[in-house]
Amino acid sequence: MKVTVDGHELDLPAGTSAIDAVFGAGGDVPYFCAHPYLSPVGACRMCLVESGSPRKNPDGSFVMEGEGDAAKPKIFWFPKPMASCTMQATEGMHIRTAKTSEVVAKAQAGMMEFTLLNHPLDCPTCDKGGACELQDRAFEYGYGASRFGFDRRHADKHYPLSDFVILDQERCIHCKRCVRYFEEVPGQEVLDFIERGGHTFIDTEEGGLPLGFQGNITDICPVGALLDNVARFRGRNWEYDHTPTTCTLCSVGCSITADARNGRLERVVARENRDVNEAWICDAGRFGHPFASEERLTTPLIRNEDGQLVPATWDEAITAINRGLAGLSLADLGLFTGSEATLEEGAALEALADVLQTRHVDHSPRQAVDIAPTATLTDVAQADFVAVIGADLGEEAPVLELRILEMLRGGLLPPEFAHGTAIADLRLVERPARQPERLAVIGAESRLWEHAGHRISANGRDALARLTRPDTDALKAVGEALTKAERPVLVLGADALNGASGSFAATLSDLAGRTGAKVMAIPAGPNSRGLSALNLVPRAGGLGLDRLSEVPAAFISRLNPGLRARGFTVVHDTHLTATAQLADVVLPAVTNYEKRGTTVNLEGRLLPLNPAAIQAGEAADLIRTLTALAEALGVKAPVRGLRGAQTLLASRLGLKLDSLPAGGVIHRLPRAHTAPAQPHTPRLWTERMVRRDQDWVDRIADLTQGGWTLPVAPTAPQPGGDD
Amino acid sequence: MTYFADKSALVADIFSRYPDSPQGRRSALMPLLREVQDAEGFVSEARMAEIAVLIGTTATEVRSVMSFYSTYHTVPTGKYHLQVCSTLMCALAGSDELWDHLVETLDVQPGEVSPDGRFSVQKVECLGSCGTAPMLQINDDGYYENVGPGKCARILADLRADRQPLPDNPVPVTVTAEGRQVMANGQTVGTSLTGLGGGTV
Ligand code: SF4
Ligand code: SF4
Ligand code: FES
Ligand code: FES
Repeated sequence: MKVTVDGHELDLPAGTSAIDAVFGAGGDVPYFCAHPYLSPVGACRMCLVESGSPRKNPDGSFVMEGEGDAAKPKIFWFPKPMASCTMQATEGMHIRTAKTSEVVAKAQAGMMEFTLLNHPLDCPTCDKGGACELQDRAFEYGYGASRFGFDRRHADKHYPLSDFVILDQERCIHCKRCVRYFEEVPGQEVLDFIERGGHTFIDTEEGGLPLGFQGNITDICPVGALLDNVARFRGRNWEYDHTPTTCTLCSVGCSITADARNGRLERVVARENRDVNEAWICDAGRFGHPFASEERLTTPLIRNEDGQLVPATWDEAITAINRGLAGLSLADLGLFTGSEATLEEGAALEALADVLQTRHVDHSPRQAVDIAPTATLTDVAQADFVAVIGADLGEEAPVLELRILEMLRGGLLPPEFAHGTAIADLRLVERPARQPERLAVIGAESRLWEHAGHRISANGRDALARLTRPDTDALKAVGEALTKAERPVLVLGADALNGASGSFAATLSDLAGRTGAKVMAIPAGPNSRGLSALNLVPRAGGLGLDRLSEVPAAFISRLNPGLRARGFTVVHDTHLTATAQLADVVLPAVTNYEKRGTTVNLEGRLLPLNPAAIQAGEAADLIRTLTALAEALGVKAPVRGLRGAQTLLASRLGLKLDSLPAGGVIHRLPRAHTAPAQPHTPRLWTERMVRRDQDWVDRIADLTQGGWTLPVAPTAPQPGGDD
Repeated sequence: MTYFADKSALVADIFSRYPDSPQGRRSALMPLLREVQDAEGFVSEARMAEIAVLIGTTATEVRSVMSFYSTYHTVPTGKYHLQVCSTLMCALAGSDELWDHLVETLDVQPGEVSPDGRFSVQKVECLGSCGTAPMLQINDDGYYENVGPGKCARILADLRADRQPLPDNPVPVTVTAEGRQVMANGQTVGTSLTGLGGGTV
């Protein structure tokens, strides 16, 4: 399909919208209401272009213009500018943007004037300032002056839609993105326009926004009308250090941007990753980050003669460990880590365990079986039948729930162009028809329940077995649907995998084989898939984390079982947890927001972590901490840094981790190592993720009493100058 | 107590006017709102939630649709709900003064009901009776036209005594011969509701 934009002809796939044609041609159109993952509705009227098409005579030939060889099909122009986000580009179409058309430039400037008619223009105090579409576009496309001299309309400011989202009704430009988002993405119609005409405002009648995916509206609001209350008033956009990284609260591994300022992690926003989280993240990922900057351990602690934990240097800590472990056989030291450790950290731990010859090695939480994933998140979105077995996705893998909902509305993934994801995919519609009969939820009731056509209460543990030999009509129906479907996917959660035995994997592969279903088992922890591929489970005769109190001595990293080892206990953690309070030596750890490394998500996708600029004193990651531990033990650490860990992983697992693409890459890991495990109940929001009630008075006290460090110029003499 | 609990026949009748599909059921929103509004004078939050459940949507959507129309009320109205047209023609003919007078003498503001429970007031957009400006509508009953100070006082006095005067024009509004526009050739414009017919006046 040939389309001409501002005189440049280009070739585009059929179905492309006019706005994508312009961006495809390298041009620019301002837009507010269009969004790559939402239906185009043409609400803001900002994306105007002039457009025209050739027309055919009754005999099928084109109406021509010009004489002889110079004759060309005559272009019939629309009499007025058109919204390009809702217009399909067609064969031979000509499009003119503000660059070449005065009509468009004038129309857009007029539209801008109109949009700003009632806008409060509180850019100097608005949190969106510096990243605001309206601000930028007004600057680029506006007149710079208004002909409307009267008073602006005033509406409610600081109107809480929930604990986490604050609405400023005055700033809303009625683009309807937030309304469409709730309708189309999580399928909860809890926001809408109230009133009409000049008084329209956004509100909910449900008494607040549902916790789960509400935070995404703060990303997509093109102005500062919807703001993240956790980050509000904590920094301006240009003050943040933006770090593209991966969220490791659950095993989906959403792409995020961690925004830090003055050494504090102040904000987390979603980052587009078409294959994983599209443009969304869950509320825990977005709002649960304050712990990364609150009440952190910043120095090692050692227990003194009085039995108190007191701050110490790393050297003192190493000495204390050395003294505490004196006389102990190295093979008696247990090494345990939490499942959010990176692959590199896991490799370092495993290598050290080999050197020490210890059998007490474990990571937690983990499952007793390993079900290798055969489905990707895109497979889930494009499936024609999904059976969710024994899972509470809201707690285990929230964004997977969104991909399942995407499947229910037809699994339309917006096309990708050189300029990125299509800005306006004309196949996406408002109030999409959903096909609940494509979803079966088997197990305990969960949020997904209400979207499912097949809902079967079952004990998660035997749900799979029952599905293979259906004993009720409802189960039979699911079995049939699975068989009939062309692209079915089975999703297995903690209830199904907890306590699963060896026969489970066989039953599953039998069912999958019979129905042609792809499988996605949700790992117990964010990186348990990666850590199980390393041999981080109790070796023959070794004690696992569940028998920690029997282990002669232990090093426990970022785990809080509330127990200590029989003998000397070293805890490596970010906070003074219950377990850390029992330890003999506590070493400060970094959070995953501050690490460089790699994590493996539930699809088996390798995703990169990058360190945000967060102040954590002398905290160290697991690799460096293990190097210190080795020093205390008097052995040479086999892995001393990230590079070394990556080299080791390259030889062990055939991974190339130093050059991961931004969106990650699927890698089939070799056989995972498993061992019996305790059942666990996944919980996304842990206690420390909920911000303590801290009101403004406290915050200001914080500020004045030095809790925050203000950005002041260093006192050191500045080079240069006249004097 | 829910409103529709004992009205299943009525609900079924309303639903029967629309396709039997999720979308069809949503279309029943307006008649259900009308039903509640007529019976109770306004639609409370509890009723919005009830209707939402009936038609399979959320209370937010019910409120959104409802708040689009000035004819549905979220707060109780008085026995006599006075709607003053405040669009241009009526404004030129003194609707602002009429409004101020009503608000002052009845001691009631939009959203309120007068202490005796009789009156509530609302400004509305053009009611299509511009030729008889200023005008007001009482409840659904009809149009009171050319409401000057004297007429206003008489209407209020009657309403205070609970004798609602007959409207000048009951709803649906008819157009009298004098109220009709005439073209240059003497032809009257439009078709008559009352069968007055065309022809010259
Ligand atoms: S929303 Fe944008 S334009 Fe409006 S006040 Fe905030 S920064 Fe300024
Ligand atoms: S609140 Fe923001 S996203 Fe929602 S309609 Fe207003 S401007 Fe658009
Ligand atoms: S009308 Fe809003 S982007 Fe096109
Ligand atoms: S302006 Fe009042 S009825 Fe039209």
